[in-house]
Amino acid sequence: MKKLSKLLLVLSFALSISSTAFAVTVASWGGAYTESQKLGYGDPTAKKLGVPINWVDYSGGLSEIKAQKEAGKITWDIIDVFAMDTITGCDEGLFVEFDFDKDFPAAPDGTAASKDFFAPMPSKCAVGNILYSWNYAYNTNNVKGTPKTIKDFFNTKKFPGKRAIYKSALTNLEIALAADGIKPGKGGAKIYKALETEKGVNRAMNKIKELCTDPNGGCVFWSAGAQPPELLVSGEVVMATGWNGRFFNAEIGEGAPIKQVWDGQGLDYEYFVLVKGGPNEADAKKALAMMTSTEGLAGSAKYIAYAPWRKSSLKVMAAGEPWYKDGKTNMVPQMPTAPANTKNYFLVDPLFWADNGTELGEKWEAMKSGL
Amino acid sequence: MSSETEKILTTDGIPLEVSLKKAERKNKIKAFLLVAPLLLFLLITYIFPIGDMLMRSVDDKMVTEMLPKTFKSMEKWDGNEMPPEEVFEAFYLDFQKLVEEKRDGKLSTQLNYTKNGFKSILKKLRRKAKNFEEGNYKEQIMAVHKRWADVEYWRAIKRRAPAYTTSKYLKGMDMYKNEDGKIVNVDEDRRIHRVLWLRTLEIAFFVTLLCFLMAYPIAHLLATLPMKYSNLLMICVLLPFWTSLLVRTASWMILLQQQGVVNDFFVMTGLVADDNRPEMMYNKTGTYVAMTQILLPFMVLPLYSVMKTISPSLMRAGKSLGGTPFITFWKVYFPLTIPGIGAGCLLVFILAIGYYITPALVGGASGTLISNQIAFHMKSTLDWSFASAMGLMLLAGVLAIYWVYNKLVGIDNIKLG
Repeated sequence: MKKLSKLLLVLSFALSISSTAFAVTVASWGGAYTESQKLGYGDPTAKKLGVPINWVDYSGGLSEIKAQKEAGKITWDIIDVFAMDTITGCDEGLFVEFDFDKDFPAAPDGTAASKDFFAPMPSKCAVGNILYSWNYAYNTNNVKGTPKTIKDFFNTKKFPGKRAIYKSALTNLEIALAADGIKPGKGGAKIYKALETEKGVNRAMNKIKELCTDPNGGCVFWSAGAQPPELLVSGEVVMATGWNGRFFNAEIGEGAPIKQVWDGQGLDYEYFVLVKGGPNEADAKKALAMMTSTEGLAGSAKYIAYAPWRKSSLKVMAAGEPWYKDGKTNMVPQMPTAPANTKNYFLVDPLFWADNGTELGEKWEAMKSGL
Repeated sequence: MSSETEKILTTDGIPLEVSLKKAERKNKIKAFLLVAPLLLFLLITYIFPIGDMLMRSVDDKMVTEMLPKTFKSMEKWDGNEMPPEEVFEAFYLDFQKLVEEKRDGKLSTQLNYTKNGFKSILKKLRRKAKNFEEGNYKEQIMAVHKRWADVEYWRAIKRRAPAYTTSKYLKGMDMYKNEDGKIVNVDEDRRIHRVLWLRTLEIAFFVTLLCFLMAYPIAHLLATLPMKYSNLLMICVLLPFWTSLLVRTASWMILLQQQGVVNDFFVMTGLVADDNRPEMMYNKTGTYVAMTQILLPFMVLPLYSVMKTISPSLMRAGKSLGGTPFITFWKVYFPLTIPGIGAGCLLVFILAIGYYITPALVGGASGTLISNQIAFHMKSTLDWSFASAMGLMLLAGVLAIYWVYNKLVGIDNIKLG
């Protein structure tokens, strides 16, 4: 008996080694998000390719992959990262550079991959996965009237009550300027042009300061994505900026009395990167192409309210409505990239933040400690 | 003396001293071998990483090696006006070499740490530099982006010339070394680290104080109550200790927020008006409450273990000698608990100084501590040398406190159990 169990132990160990050796490992954020990736395109790709795909959770940032590389033992093939990280990681030589039209399949109507992306990639190492929105929502029970614009978020006279905003400068400076009257321009270019100057930065900081010190307003700073809907539902704040997928879950999934406003939203992105020298680089590259294809990306939107990077995926979804897994919710209007939601928006500029993130972060913290 | 000892021989003719030493050496080797694994463990997991951190925080060879010609040509440049043509030419040549080796990205990351704004202008330079004509590099580079015509950026490059630097430590104190080698403060609206250091110390200090004030009576009760009650009480202390940190933080948020349970109760009993609910969450109050509750067991347990060993007869003896209850407590009981107080306070203080998730969640505008900054540079900017420098500064702070404690109370006077 003892011998048998030992044998089993050795066998299972050997099996686990061999299976990880030929599987593709993807590091992502976990929770409902990874679930949508796994069900939406992970499992179908694994089936088609005949290579198992392992999903592991991580908490973002490049420190882990950098440590893996420095230790000479890379265990991840593909990582789900923010735009800024693709730039930094690409500069550091951690990721593989792509030739988009060659490495990724064209859309069903024949549009080349690079033309099918919603916006150009921030670096040669990144391939788009989803777009999510930094929009705001309000509690319909606690707000009299209907906020419609980003200006209303800062209008404490018309809509008194506390607001919840993100704890760092990222996107807060942009919406402050948009609410202060700067037209975002194409993809928010004008906002970032203003933020390049000292005057623009001060203008944005003052707008936020005004809101937070207003006796009719006041700020709560959120740090985890689950907080904004929670703060709204508990009545702690009347409006909150946040990620649209979280608001969607509270609104549709749990029937909470909250409503989203898309005016002045910031579109932000998630990308996949292919690790240079990963344990199974060749298979990982194939899997990545399948996962980020038109059908692949549309698949994940069945489970979560984040928009696929490919424009052609929206068509697939529109044809299959109601697309949401509950079988009754139309998903295209919930997409941050839907035409009705992109009348006034900006694209979060990863290069701007890669350039100026540290200094603006310091100024932001200095402003916050003076509140 | 020595000649006398030499005369004492063992039975086989070897001097006793030598024979004893031999036996002792054997024992010493045995003892050493026994502790060797622990020593090795400490070396690998503690001393070596700290040494590595120290190296990282001062090592700046990478940039020195990447721009050899530039730094050489910059030696004569005083940094007051725009550098001369030869500096531009040297920089262009160095940069082209880096582009060929695909290392220009690393340079842009590094220079961006010194001064923000380098990333995009180096990317732009890489694109434009392909079409550069020979000669007059100064004008060509300055035409790429207006920042290249800003002397500040060239000064920032010059600051990276030495192979070893203390700049990361200075940056951690909101200072930098300017062109004349003088140490000056950064612009006022960017001074943040000093604020964060003070805030971290302040929060750690008050949390320790609050923990002490609350834990002392609890520990005393635990140590003096009969077994069946004290066991139950002990479980009450330990139960939250076994609960996840995030769960406890989140429950404090639910309890203390303005629309929370505690405020609802106040309004219900008429203590406060509905439109005038006190703010107890998303500010320092929230941080103190949540952190004190989370760290309380770390104070209770050492205190309890010390109090348990104090014989109750000592207090009776004090009283029988004519002391009031307060005098006997203050002169007899309290001094005996000092080892536990020391251990508990050090433990709580050191843990509190490195906290950051709880303050970030419940602290609102004042919720950022120095550890958040370290994590930010570890994870987002990948400026590990700056993160190392701040980590070491934190470690030095803890060691300084340890030293002060040793001077005031004595480190032998510490007892964990």
